[in-house]
Amino acid sequence: MTKNETIKNWIEQYSEPLLRRAVHLLSDKVEAEDVVQEVFISAFSSYDSFEGKSQPLTWLMTILNRKVADFYRKKYKSEPYIKLDHFFDETGSWKNDDVLHDWDVSNKETELLDDKDFNKTLEDCLEDLPSRWKIPMKMYYLEEKKAPEVSQELDISTTNLWKILQRSRMQLRECLEFNWFAKS
Amino acid sequence: MFKKLIHMIFLPCSEVTLLMEKRNAENISPAENWKLNLHLKICKWCRAYKQKLEILDDILKRKLSQEKKPEINNSEIQDFKEKLFKNLDI
Repeated sequence: MTKNETIKNWIEQYSEPLLRRAVHLLSDKVEAEDVVQEVFISAFSSYDSFEGKSQPLTWLMTILNRKVADFYRKKYKSEPYIKLDHFFDETGSWKNDDVLHDWDVSNKETELLDDKDFNKTLEDCLEDLPSRWKIPMKMYYLEEKKAPEVSQELDISTTNLWKILQRSRMQLRECLEFNWFAKS
Repeated sequence: MFKKLIHMIFLPCSEVTLLMEKRNAENISPAENWKLNLHLKICKWCRAYKQKLEILDDILKRKLSQEKKPEINNSEIQDFKEKLFKNLDI
C-alpha cells in the first residue's frame, strides 16, 4: 500500500474514534474536527516516523492527546493574573457588604432550578464568565472530575485551577446576588 | 478597624476564599484547614460567603450535570471524512 492509500484507510477507519475522543476532551464539535484534521495532517507528514511498532490508532491517539494539550496551552498561555481587587481591598478584606445579604433558599435549591426565570438568570451569569474559566468549571462538574484530572487534561497547574474556580464562583455569586436574590 | 485587625493576624479573605475551593475539592492540607476554620470563626463576611458557596455548589452540580456533551453523529463523521480527503488531496 502506498502512503496515500494507508492514510486514506486510516481516515476511513479511525475518524470516528478520534472525533469522539476529541469531542469528549474539548466539548465542542467544530474545535474537535479542527484538531482531528490536524492529527491526520501531522500523521501524513510524519508518516515515515511511524514504524508500525504500535497500532495505528494508538499512534494517532498519542498525536491527538498532544494536539489537545497544545490547544489548551495556547488558550491558557496568556492567562493573566486573576485579579481579585474587584472584591477585596488592598488588605484582602471584602470591599462591600453585599455578601452578607441573606439568600432566601427556604424553598430549597431543587425548586430554584425548576424556576424558569432562575434558570435563565443562572445561564446568563454562566455565559458572562470568560471562556477560559467556563471550560474548567464545566469539566469540574461534568462527570464529577477530580481537580488533578481537570488540571492535567487542561495542562494548567492545580494552583491556577483553584484561582479560576475561586474567581468564577465569586463572579457567579455576585451576579446572582444582583440579578436574582436582591430582586426577589 | 476590627476587620483590618483580623487580616493582620489571620489570613486575608482573598486567600481564605481560595482555601475554600481547595477544601471543596478535598485538596487542603491540615494546616490550611486549621487556618480556614479559625478565620471563619471570626469573620462574618467569609462565613456568609461560605454559606452561599455551598448553595452555589449545589446549584451548579445539578445544573451542569444536566448539560449534555455535544454528540457527533454518523453523517457528520461522513462529511468530515469527505472534507478531509479533499483537503489532503488523496
